[in-house]
Amino acid sequence: MSALTDLIPARRPPLLTSLTHGVALPVVYAIAIATLAQFAIGPALGEYWASVGVQVGIAVMLAVSLNIVNGFTGQFSIGHAGFFAIGAYVGAGISYYSALLIWGDPATLPHGAPLMWEGSPSGLFGAGDWIMVAGALLGGCVSAVFGYIVGLPSLRLRGDYLAIVTLGFGEIVRVLLQQTRPQVFEAQELRELAGADLFIPPLGGATGFSGIPKYATLWWVWFFVFFVVLFAYRVKLSSTGRALLSIREDEIASRAMGVNITKYKVRAFVLAAGLAGIAGALYAHSGNVLQPRDAGFQRSFECIIYVVLGGLGSISGAALAAVALSIMTEALRGPEPILENWPILVGLAIAGTIAAGVLRAIKNRGWRITFVLAMTPLSFLALGLASKLFNEVTGVNLAAYRMVVYALLLIVVMLARPNGLFGLTEIWEYFGPIRGPKPGSGNDDSRLAAEPPAPAPPAETQPSTPPTPPAPPTLPPGDAAP
Amino acid sequence: MSDYLLDVRDIGISFGGLKACQGLTLQVPARGLHGLIGPNGAGKTTAFNLITGVYQTQTGSVALDGLPVHQLAPHQIAKAGLSRTFQNIRLFGDLSVLDNVRLACHVRGSHTLIGTLFRTRSFVAQERAIRERALHMLDVFDLAGAADEQARSLPYGHQRRLEICRALATEPKALLLDEPAAGMNPSEKVALASTIRQIRDRFGLAILLIEHDMGLVMEICEHITVLDHGTPIATGTPRDVQRNPKVQEAYLGEPGAVL
Repeated sequence: MSALTDLIPARRPPLLTSLTHGVALPVVYAIAIATLAQFAIGPALGEYWASVGVQVGIAVMLAVSLNIVNGFTGQFSIGHAGFFAIGAYVGAGISYYSALLIWGDPATLPHGAPLMWEGSPSGLFGAGDWIMVAGALLGGCVSAVFGYIVGLPSLRLRGDYLAIVTLGFGEIVRVLLQQTRPQVFEAQELRELAGADLFIPPLGGATGFSGIPKYATLWWVWFFVFFVVLFAYRVKLSSTGRALLSIREDEIASRAMGVNITKYKVRAFVLAAGLAGIAGALYAHSGNVLQPRDAGFQRSFECIIYVVLGGLGSISGAALAAVALSIMTEALRGPEPILENWPILVGLAIAGTIAAGVLRAIKNRGWRITFVLAMTPLSFLALGLASKLFNEVTGVNLAAYRMVVYALLLIVVMLARPNGLFGLTEIWEYFGPIRGPKPGSGNDDSRLAAEPPAPAPPAETQPSTPPTPPAPPTLPPGDAAP
Repeated sequence: MSDYLLDVRDIGISFGGLKACQGLTLQVPARGLHGLIGPNGAGKTTAFNLITGVYQTQTGSVALDGLPVHQLAPHQIAKAGLSRTFQNIRLFGDLSVLDNVRLACHVRGSHTLIGTLFRTRSFVAQERAIRERALHMLDVFDLAGAADEQARSLPYGHQRRLEICRALATEPKALLLDEPAAGMNPSEKVALASTIRQIRDRFGLAILLIEHDMGLVMEICEHITVLDHGTPIATGTPRDVQRNPKVQEAYLGEPGAVL
């Protein structure tokens, strides 16, 4: 067998195929999913749940991006919200101040949107939307730079030491954001600010950054969700992803096999930070007031829960946990929207149960997981009901205690499944073919008995070209040797 | 440039006051099979860790194919062509058997984030080549049927075999085997001996072997170095070493006893 580098040239795909599969198709899929979310699912959900859908998408992005560091690489980062906040403030600053300069008032929407849709908070594809996209990409880049800076100390640190560094980073971001200048509300005032005044940007300080245009529609959020998930998945299925996973499994062996673990840890941080920054920029445009505490520990903790609950290394698991927990938060906040939609939830549960039954009958594969997934909507319903009852009986709103519920969930899952609900496995792998037979295709002994260890071929062949003996070497047999 | 593929000269390390390994010199020619033996705690694995860069040697030098490697990081040494297995198997347990070997092919490729995210042509070509090569290596080691199994779920003997397979997938010039026969029964050891020779012949490697099983070492090694208390006490052909009174003393505690 020739060396790896000699194998590569002959396996280059044609340029067109490569572009289609690498770039064009994903864009088409992303547009399809985003359009579906905006124009089919959004209207069906109604305004309130559409806005939840935006938050769910952002949570998915956070979960999937953090999974690259905590899940794949096994580095315990608890400062993910820091990157999120950096992206959020960069994106918000760009959108708000450019809207202020161009249109005079960021609150007047839409900013020249050609595609209006009733029920959407703003138009789609207006100039403002593109400013948001540019801001999101720039926010991602700035975040990635910070990811590089935080990644560097992780060269030498691991485990709890790294966790403390990342925690410190999040707190630094939070405090720095508190120290920014007050927000500027008039275009004239903004123009009068000298360059030196902008050294500390006017991002609102401790009072928060408000009035950011609501460009983040379901369309844009789920467009970006698709790419974040796709990128994470592509990393997982690449040699880079295997290098990250090998670091998580065994750093010493990983280095001995030639993985530059420093480089890959930093790479993981940069990628995760960049994607979190994009999520942050979208969050900034979803109608929230940005506050320094968005960089704080609570949000980082939520991200960690998504990843740990869903499965360290499972992209779909973390995404699912993000979806479920975001909806659960809403259910705990005010159970009415959940309870009002009970026919949908019950319908989903019944449909899932039927699907599980069919799977059980025809291939006996994947039906358990389908059943569990089908029960999730019912559990929301139960949770909503319990929350409502609790509220009526005691007058206490459970929303205030949702972190307690989170923590309890985490304890239960950690006791039952230390690697998260799905571990490294992607959800669809439960439906795939049953994994291959045992080593040596069943019976080592018979095979080795038929092919006794051949005498070593003569050694005078050139060392540079490994000789190919007639039969593959019969390596350590079970107990078939003489 | 020396005639030896792996040229280790006078390496050593102390941990505090403990001289874990001192003044070790050994040379393995291309396609040579060299044994490193010694009683428990003699510093054999420390020597391996020095050669592969896990520890930085405090004295002396290590050269691989004429290239000094003793100041390089472990991954650079792996890239230079030195690969190893571990005494206590260190596979990537959660990864599949195939991925363990694919990871080892990693060192011969180049990996960019852009290529990974956008699946550029060179990325796709390299992934295909890696997969092909990894499957080939698994086939050579009769593990292809288990390619999708989790490495952790393999039986012990197969795990040892997979570790050797993984080490060879880095396309090394020299291979360091740390007690490959540990935990094997006598017949498995006999088979292992022929396997090691076949690996040497098929892949054209220099092999350095740590082993406790004297029968195995004496049978397959052309040269042997004996360590005791961190210092080499003898080196030579198996016959020379067996007759060396210092070696007999190190192993049996009194001179003149028959090894």
